[in-house]
Amino acid sequence: MRRVWALVWKDLLVEFRGREFLGAMVVFALITIVTLNFAFDLSRGDREASGAGGLWIAFLFAGMLGLGRSLAVERDRGTLEGLTLCPVDAGTIFLGKFISNVLFIVIVQAVSLPVFYGLYNLPSLEPMVLLMAVIGAIGLAGLGTLFSALAASSRAREILMPLLLFPLAIPLVIGTVRATTLIFQGDGAEAWPWFNLLAAFDVIFVTLSYIVFDLVLEE
Amino acid sequence: MDDNLGYLFAAFAVTWLAIAGYLLYIGQQVKGLRDEMQLLDDGDDAAT
Amino acid sequence: MMQRNSTNRSDMLVMGLGLLTVAVLTLGIFMAFVYAPSDLAQGNAQRIFYVHVPMAWLAYLAMAVVFVGSVGYMWKRSARMDRLARSSAELGFLFTTLVLITGSLWGRPIWNAWWQWEARLTTTLILWFIFIGYFMVRAYAGDRERGARYAAVLGIIGAIDVPIIHQSVTWWRTLHPEPIVLDTGGPNLPDSMLATLLVCLAGFTLLYAYLMVQKTRIETVRDALAERELTALFAPESETLDRRPVAPVSRNVSGAAED
Repeated sequence: MRRVWALVWKDLLVEFRGREFLGAMVVFALITIVTLNFAFDLSRGDREASGAGGLWIAFLFAGMLGLGRSLAVERDRGTLEGLTLCPVDAGTIFLGKFISNVLFIVIVQAVSLPVFYGLYNLPSLEPMVLLMAVIGAIGLAGLGTLFSALAASSRAREILMPLLLFPLAIPLVIGTVRATTLIFQGDGAEAWPWFNLLAAFDVIFVTLSYIVFDLVLEE
Repeated sequence: MDDNLGYLFAAFAVTWLAIAGYLLYIGQQVKGLRDEMQLLDDGDDAAT
Repeated sequence: MMQRNSTNRSDMLVMGLGLLTVAVLTLGIFMAFVYAPSDLAQGNAQRIFYVHVPMAWLAYLAMAVVFVGSVGYMWKRSARMDRLARSSAELGFLFTTLVLITGSLWGRPIWNAWWQWEARLTTTLILWFIFIGYFMVRAYAGDRERGARYAAVLGIIGAIDVPIIHQSVTWWRTLHPEPIVLDTGGPNLPDSMLATLLVCLAGFTLLYAYLMVQKTRIETVRDALAERELTALFAPESETLDRRPVAPVSRNVSGAAED
């Protein structure tokens, strides 16, 4: 378990020293939110009803960018081989990458949410929204880490990862957007069933990804 | 309701055409494989 | 020399299976068009049901087999399991496409819409994308062995996700119910319709079995050929090395629908 944290720390260090992509992820999320505003041109009531969709598309795309870049950079620099040479098993490598990806996505969310609230003049930020955001980020990072590893070694890596991820992440999209919309509209209590769905999704797919990561790293 | 027969026939037609097409495709694969095996066998025979 | 003429007995069995398939399907078509009564509300278009439902059954059956093959491959790295998975994936893709098309053709006269975002159709649409992803990972993986491994990952994750997707779409839909729900008859299906459906289901399942047998055989040969080419390439003392035309590239990426 300590090794996992070592890997996470390594990723964080690499990121904060080299500023590879986290900044780009944040900016991209913000730009997406702004662009969607022009695309949908929603009135105040509509924003509460549909705003969550736009928010989560921004998270999804920004997350996708980060996930794709994260493993592609490793592969380009040859550090992925270095990792596999370490006496750690595939599952540990997965956990390390997964946790750092969750952190990166959550950081993007943490910056985007206040901006979103500000731009759209929504009422105060509720903790439940943050909870849904994190739960969604976990699921996204789980499958995303797995698929970016799959795609990293192929020449079509940028397109392959989202292509695999989006269909499978549909329960995530449905759950988070529905839950967030309910919270925006003041019906937070009804969001809990969605939370359960999301939590179950996360548990199942993070576990599965951990198990099958072996298949991905074997060289 | 009889104009719906068009849709009915279209649905069945698509299904059967697709299946027939797939069978043809498999047949082509078999043929291709046979040819390739023949080629390799000839290569073997010629070498020995 | 390849053992092409393995056993006549197994060939006979396969041919028997093929003939049985044709027989049951013919009966099924007859029943679908003639024996089964017209639906009161939907008229003759309802008969698409007898092809749409079996296709849906096969699509999901095929995915289940892909799952089994993928798990088997993950567990044992058995080429046979991979062949099972990729053959079933190819068939599954075919059937899923047909579910969507027949579903549209049924929906148009009944709902006056080519598409409904209801749970079953939506899940099938996503399944379609999962199959595409399955072949794309194989194609883009670079070599056969890696392709098989990556595809197995998708086979496992995809199959387990399908019921979850279905459930979440169902819940999503209960918030925005569509005015007309696809009526497959449910528990009130008259006996004659039920009988017709069962015969069609049986016939198409036999078809799936037959196609699987043929497809897995083909894949077995392709695998063997690819192995053979590889050993020939790398066996320095082989006399055939010089005279062999070397073009193994397309064979190394197996499993994709087109070479």
